[in-house]
Amino acid sequence: MAVLHAWRAARVTPLGELHAPPRMTAALVRLVVQVVLVASLWNGLYAHAGPTAGLSRDQAVSYAVLAVLASRLRELDQYAGRDTVLQHMHFGTIVYWYLRPLPPARYHALRALGEQVYGAAWALAGYAVCLATGVVRPPESALVAGVFVVSLLLGQLVLYFVMLLLDQMCFWTLRNNAAMLILVFAQNLLSGVYAPLWFFPGWFRAMSAFLPFQATLSVPLSLYVGRIRPADAAGQLAIQAAWAVLLFLLTRFLWRRAARRVISQGG
Amino acid sequence: MHAVRTAWRITRLNIRAQMEYRVEFLLNIAIGAIWQVSVIVFATVLLARFSGMGGWDSSEVLLIPATRMLAHGLFVLFLGRMHGIGRFVQEGKIDIYLVRPLPVHRQVQLEYFPTNAIGDLTVAAGLMAGALGRSHLDWTAGRVTYLVVCLIGGMLLEAALFTAVACASLRFPAAGYWGRWLEELLGTFGSYPLNVLPKAVGGLLTFGLPLAFVAYFPAAVLTGHGHDTGVPYWLAAASPLLGVLAYLAARLLWRWSLDHYTGVNG
Amino acid sequence: MSGSIEVRGLSRAFRSTVRRPGFAGALRSLIDPERVTKYAVSDITFDVAPGELLALLGPNGAGKSTTIKILTGILTPTAGEARVAGVVPYQERERNARNIGAVFGQRTQLWWDLPVRESFAILRDIYEVPRAEHAARLREFDDLLELSAFWDTRVRHLSLGQRVRCDLAAALLHDPPVVFLDEPTIGMDVVVKEQVREFLRHQVEQRGRTVLLTTHDMTEVERLAERVVLVNHGRLVLDGTLDEIRRTYGSTWQVRVTLADAHAAVVPLPGIALLGRDGPRAVFGPDGSGAPTVHQALKAVIERYEVTDVAIDEADLEDVMRAAYVHAGPAVEEA
Repeated sequence: MAVLHAWRAARVTPLGELHAPPRMTAALVRLVVQVVLVASLWNGLYAHAGPTAGLSRDQAVSYAVLAVLASRLRELDQYAGRDTVLQHMHFGTIVYWYLRPLPPARYHALRALGEQVYGAAWALAGYAVCLATGVVRPPESALVAGVFVVSLLLGQLVLYFVMLLLDQMCFWTLRNNAAMLILVFAQNLLSGVYAPLWFFPGWFRAMSAFLPFQATLSVPLSLYVGRIRPADAAGQLAIQAAWAVLLFLLTRFLWRRAARRVISQGG
Repeated sequence: MHAVRTAWRITRLNIRAQMEYRVEFLLNIAIGAIWQVSVIVFATVLLARFSGMGGWDSSEVLLIPATRMLAHGLFVLFLGRMHGIGRFVQEGKIDIYLVRPLPVHRQVQLEYFPTNAIGDLTVAAGLMAGALGRSHLDWTAGRVTYLVVCLIGGMLLEAALFTAVACASLRFPAAGYWGRWLEELLGTFGSYPLNVLPKAVGGLLTFGLPLAFVAYFPAAVLTGHGHDTGVPYWLAAASPLLGVLAYLAARLLWRWSLDHYTGVNG
Repeated sequence: MSGSIEVRGLSRAFRSTVRRPGFAGALRSLIDPERVTKYAVSDITFDVAPGELLALLGPNGAGKSTTIKILTGILTPTAGEARVAGVVPYQERERNARNIGAVFGQRTQLWWDLPVRESFAILRDIYEVPRAEHAARLREFDDLLELSAFWDTRVRHLSLGQRVRCDLAAALLHDPPVVFLDEPTIGMDVVVKEQVREFLRHQVEQRGRTVLLTTHDMTEVERLAERVVLVNHGRLVLDGTLDEIRRTYGSTWQVRVTLADAHAAVVPLPGIALLGRDGPRAVFGPDGSGAPTVHQALKAVIERYEVTDVAIDEADLEDVMRAAYVHAGPAVEEA
């Protein structure tokens, strides 16, 4: 039975998207345009320059395009489905999360898992097209590919916890819209979605080394393009795992506090 | 005069309302700091790595993000809030606006005070000061005037784009999705000289999504690159005028959309 | 099913921030918030027997929703105790969740973006209801609430009446012995309201569910509830049948008669006052606290005078409740 409710919760958001074909078309258009724009930009930037910041042109383009594809992993529109924690707080429907025999934390995690698996299907399809058209280079070796997959999974785990933290904030501040936008921007910037972290000044990279964001995307992508050698991978994977554990403990603690807050205020 | 007084009174109430949510208000200010550092680093990081981008020297390139961000800050302060339309529709707020004796557009603008605009404008002003400080150009009265006009034009153009998205939201609340993408595109691709991109892609960002007119063309005209932007010089120079026209058109579209507004759930 | 509800001396205090007026006040509150304690519910005690429908009544802000939140386990009381089907809800929230169903009228638990039937399926799996049982119950609900006409529609496109009917079904799909309904029929048209009442009656009488209902609709109370609990300002004011409430607060009746002899002398009767006299028409009303009921008064008047026409005006339940709400004690508040 546990498998059944897991399956139901996991398919909530993807199913919402399947019921709204315009949203899928929009997602497809956006993905294609964004890949083309990003690939053109990096090709353009490298047109008159040699390897920069330890990245060759091919590496930079692969990195940037993969970043676009990876951001598709969690790009589903919970907002349109009125299923964000923020909206549940706003409409007062969060009480139903606490009225069911399924812990809110598990529902939240299962739903995110479903979204990520669905997003992964899109990202994989995009990756196959990019690989076929030569926009993205394949990984250097099977070892690199393997390490990349492990690192990507760890990164998605860290990303889930970061996004969960944002959701959990809603239990304390009802209107974190602005904070949300800014933190999403910070997440994109510091994880290397906008530009590979290698291009940033040393102090900036030093700072981001203390933050969980780079563990979400920058590390797996750097492994993929070979900017981090497989020999150095172990340390990076350990840092990712450490972040995952740390954030897991923090978010678990916050779930408890959130529950206490809900039941002390009545939702 | 009455309209201005009303607007100001509501704005003051809005600022107070923002302070009601203590954590949120303080958080907005704190997070503003992260935002500032991030944006400046992002805007400058590529310039530092790829000097001579698109044939522009780095002090010239800096003028693009500075112009864009300042225009964006002004937009958020004066004409933002259009992103929220999808939500307003869902919450039935538009229906409430429609029965009040004030233009709906003004009521949307007065819905809440954009605390974050203060942060945006502070960064943008800092960046602009930096750009002007490093600039080797002779800042004559004419140039300064043109820059100011371009800032207003850029603000209006961005407002026009978001107003158009808002019009779509009146009918399809999910159109907010495009708004978020638009914001991201403006933020990322609005800061480079677009001639580094292949012609077709640059054309897309000029005539498909008129992002080039916000900052790239004005900066090109100011720095003397106006003849190699891929469009006729007069068109690049007329960017602010285009902003005004686009905004007027967007407002007409807004009025038309409101007339055809049917609300949600009958 | 043994879904009894026991509430013993339940109290709930809230601490809130006082907002100071003016711009400077807002700034000060930002730095140095001033807090006060208020009681939403204070020392409330009542029972609901298994298979009983109890209406929890009171004006807005009386503490009805707070009571329901405590009983559903999403709010802890500051004092007192509650048991729902033998479980202390705020101590064992998940165990309690399996025993109860809840509808908060204006909030939906359905998934906004999905067809209603998907929501039903998600809930079925969350509550681990066997498929056959689920299908059978859905058929039963469909017969009573006519859900199948719109259960393949996405929730966002449902009308209010349709949505709340689906919410009711969703709350009862796992066959809970106890059901909490917080203003379920708010904003519905009369046809849908009657349909929902029929459904609730069926659930209580045929399925033996215990229902605790809050509503402002007195017709609903008259049609559904044998017993009501009246709260005001967080305190329990009355626990009894509708008749008892009528007797306590509803002594406003009038007997209008047309006398056969327009010039007959009319004098007040014991406990019955003469309120007005205009030629052959006379109006009687209750006099003092020992007044008879409207039926006794009618009898007394007819026996005493020769009348050609008679009419009685009895306060309807809404008038009675208005009297009760105004009558009930002062606000419970502490600094």
